[in-house]
Amino acid sequence: MSMRPDVMSSNERIYALLAGKPIDRVPLFPFIPGFCARNVGYPIAAMYSDAEKSFDAQLKTMEQYGFDWGPLYGYASYGTWEFGGTVKMPSGEYEQAPAHVTFPVQSEADVSRLQLPDVKKAGCLPTAMAFSKLQERSGMPVSIICGGNFTIAGNICSVETLCRWMLKKPDLVHEILRLATDHIVDIVRYWVETFGAERVIPQIWEPSAANYIVSPKQFERFVLPYFQESSARILDMGVKHILYHICGEQNANLPYWAQVPMGDPGLASIGEEIDAETAVRYFGDTCIIIGNIDGKVILEGPPEFLYRLCTDTIAKLKHAPRGYMMCSGCEIPPNSPPYNVYVMRKAINDAGWYD
Amino acid sequence: MRLKQDRMNSAERIKALFDYRKPDHVPVSMIAPGFCCRNAGLPITVAYNDPQNNFYAMQWTAEQYGWDPIPQIVRHTVVETLDFGGDVRLPEGEYEGALVIKSFPVKSDSDVEALTMPDPGKTGMIGAALEYGRLQRAHGLPATFVSRSPFTVASNICGLQQFCKWLIKKPELCERLMKMAIDHTFNVLQYWTDAFGAENVFVFMSSPSESNQVISPKQFEKFALPYHLLYHERLKALGIERFFFHICGDQNANLPHLASTSPWRHPSILSFGHEVNLEAAAKYFPKDIICGNIEPAVIQTGTTQQVYELAGANLESGKKIPGGFILSAGCELPIAAPACNVFAITKAVDDLGWY
Amino acid sequence: MASDERIQAILTSIRDAVVGYDDEACERLCRSALEEGIDPNRAVMEGLTGGMEIVGELYNKQEYFVPELLLCADALNAGLGVLKPHLKIENASEKGKLLLGVVEGDIHDIGKNLVKIMFEAAGWDVYDLGNNVAIAKFAEEQQKVNADIVALSALMTTSMLAMPKIIESLKAQSQGVKVLVGGAPLSQEIAKRYGADAYAPDAVAAVKEAANLLGNVM
Repeated sequence: MSMRPDVMSSNERIYALLAGKPIDRVPLFPFIPGFCARNVGYPIAAMYSDAEKSFDAQLKTMEQYGFDWGPLYGYASYGTWEFGGTVKMPSGEYEQAPAHVTFPVQSEADVSRLQLPDVKKAGCLPTAMAFSKLQERSGMPVSIICGGNFTIAGNICSVETLCRWMLKKPDLVHEILRLATDHIVDIVRYWVETFGAERVIPQIWEPSAANYIVSPKQFERFVLPYFQESSARILDMGVKHILYHICGEQNANLPYWAQVPMGDPGLASIGEEIDAETAVRYFGDTCIIIGNIDGKVILEGPPEFLYRLCTDTIAKLKHAPRGYMMCSGCEIPPNSPPYNVYVMRKAINDAGWYD
Repeated sequence: MRLKQDRMNSAERIKALFDYRKPDHVPVSMIAPGFCCRNAGLPITVAYNDPQNNFYAMQWTAEQYGWDPIPQIVRHTVVETLDFGGDVRLPEGEYEGALVIKSFPVKSDSDVEALTMPDPGKTGMIGAALEYGRLQRAHGLPATFVSRSPFTVASNICGLQQFCKWLIKKPELCERLMKMAIDHTFNVLQYWTDAFGAENVFVFMSSPSESNQVISPKQFEKFALPYHLLYHERLKALGIERFFFHICGDQNANLPHLASTSPWRHPSILSFGHEVNLEAAAKYFPKDIICGNIEPAVIQTGTTQQVYELAGANLESGKKIPGGFILSAGCELPIAAPACNVFAITKAVDDLGWY
Repeated sequence: MASDERIQAILTSIRDAVVGYDDEACERLCRSALEEGIDPNRAVMEGLTGGMEIVGELYNKQEYFVPELLLCADALNAGLGVLKPHLKIENASEKGKLLLGVVEGDIHDIGKNLVKIMFEAAGWDVYDLGNNVAIAKFAEEQQKVNADIVALSALMTTSMLAMPKIIESLKAQSQGVKVLVGGAPLSQEIAKRYGADAYAPDAVAAVKEAANLLGNVM
């Protein structure tokens, strides 16, 4: 009750930002499904298995803490289930997202048996569609979190197998990547047919292509061409903006990322591993920058340190040429102290206005 | 954020009530030391053994939820079991929310006679409480003195079960314990007054052992009430003007006795559990500020909507109370209450609590 | 052997001693009952238990409160101490077996103790686990005791959160076990949400709810 009152509604702010128009303050972008579950008292699994509960929990939490954009549905191990493997929903105190149980591909022979999933029925997609209908009703962007291509490939055969095959059996990798790419395009096409290209903003998360796992050369060979292709095909449908979450340490990949078309503007979400100046250098002219508050600091505080981190980040990115939204570098840990999440919005209140 | 802008700060709001004026909106007060620790990502033991972090946790949480922490209700200054030579330990694990009594100072009749008065400057947790009081004063807040009623303090010296039996069989033992309880309380309170000045002390008292779930109104009248009268005689003699009385649990049958004497300075803040109807309380105590009384179990286990509606109903009744009204939970805010449910109370005040 | 009239007088006096929380009188009268050849089981049921039934009614009418209940229980136990060695064992648990405890994190046991008193007075076999009972312990002990009903008590909103886990583990172990819950922060609605079979707002109601549960089973 002591925050400066917003001049714009959340939807007004987001659509103005996407249109390149002035906004009242830096938006706060959400990456918080597990935290929302805890905030409302639902099991984390509900965020992935129950569209209504997930949307409700996120909406309430976003209102409480002043997040913008709106509820999102998706998880990093997407693809396992959809291509015929199995996942389990999170349970217990320490699990925060669905996890692989069995991979669709367990041998080389399995690769040729892979088929493109039916986007209307496969895996979590019916839940995702139900969720997107709720997004549509609320007037917010309709997001579908699909991929990225390389991450889906890793979710089909396991990242370890993918890594081995990149060196020993690259043809198999390309075969899987081809399917992953076509699948991403299929999903977006289905979403565009349902909601219209204007409303759909796909989100493509790419943690498996981080430099902890692949070299920049491997990125150039196995990741970049597929991103370029799926992006082009998606933009050709009339979609205006694509959000890419460049997850983890990917500094050495950035020259290639900068070659991926993301729309006008695109949305480049970065982790704490990529500093603000670097992000502006590579993406500032083409993308709204999203990020990059270190999740560990949000989890462990102390609040004063987090506040300074947020205000410093706002100072560096607030005037990025195509715009900026503050966000955690990756998903906010579900057990983050509520006060720390509040501090993020407080920092925007104190330092994030465009006067 | 969509919350309306305050026109008063917390100190002004509470002062308005004490002057029998209407504030800008209904204030919110919470007994929540454990919740505040959890909210700030700290273990709940901080509420007992770390005044600095406890203070900041309470301040931050009050800021986050728009509470009016005057008085700031902390853990007890007088910890009778410990002060009189018993043994307690800090809470552990997921399900303990308060100090755990390991042994009572009094276990037999002869122990009552042998009981000696504690040194007010040295015993129990008084040292930590004093440090906390200094932090409060350094931040312009009154130094809260937190203890229980003489009847409740006495019952915690020998255990409630034993005390109940002695009420009937050996009332003289209960009398001795209550006499020692009130003397010890005022020894510490004198210490507080010397340290901070009477005008800067805000006394908080709770009386859970006097609930009609334990004793009859006749037993209340005979044993507890005389000590309430004595308590306030002594409080007034010390020059302390601010008093907050948490009348814990179902004490409906005691209210006529309390009302017929109302020995405290007027107005004082009288806080009630969900078992007591607010309008009835207001009729009994027309010259006092009524505080309460959302059922804590609903805040913990209910839906956000249920909490919002309960808060709304309380606000509707409370705003009409001529002596003034503060919205609160009916007892300590559950440590595990989902943050969204706690925010629902803030939202209810924002929507419905303005004058 | 005493006359019917004499027997009635003694049994009534035992009842009155319980209701009047007079330990010494209760003990003395129970001794008299034995000396005069009164069936000890009858002395327990009609004298002691009969007395506690009246105490329960007085509690419901809010004439008796916790202090009185505790002392009435002491009187009952004083009398039972005299009669118990003489009781016929096969009738010891004709009502049922109850496993009882205050859940993990909670040391407040007056309510639980009152429940124990009322169940024992009503002729149940009660296995009391005490307070701050670890979650796993309930299922462990139930495995050994095979109680008809497991009763869980909590006073704090913090500790009541242990109840759903306890109930889940009990039901996983044996579908047929009935769980009864009580304590200040509980309610019918919360009990249902937690998976309990019944809820009781106080010790007297608890005995009735338990009887209903067994009645439904039978």
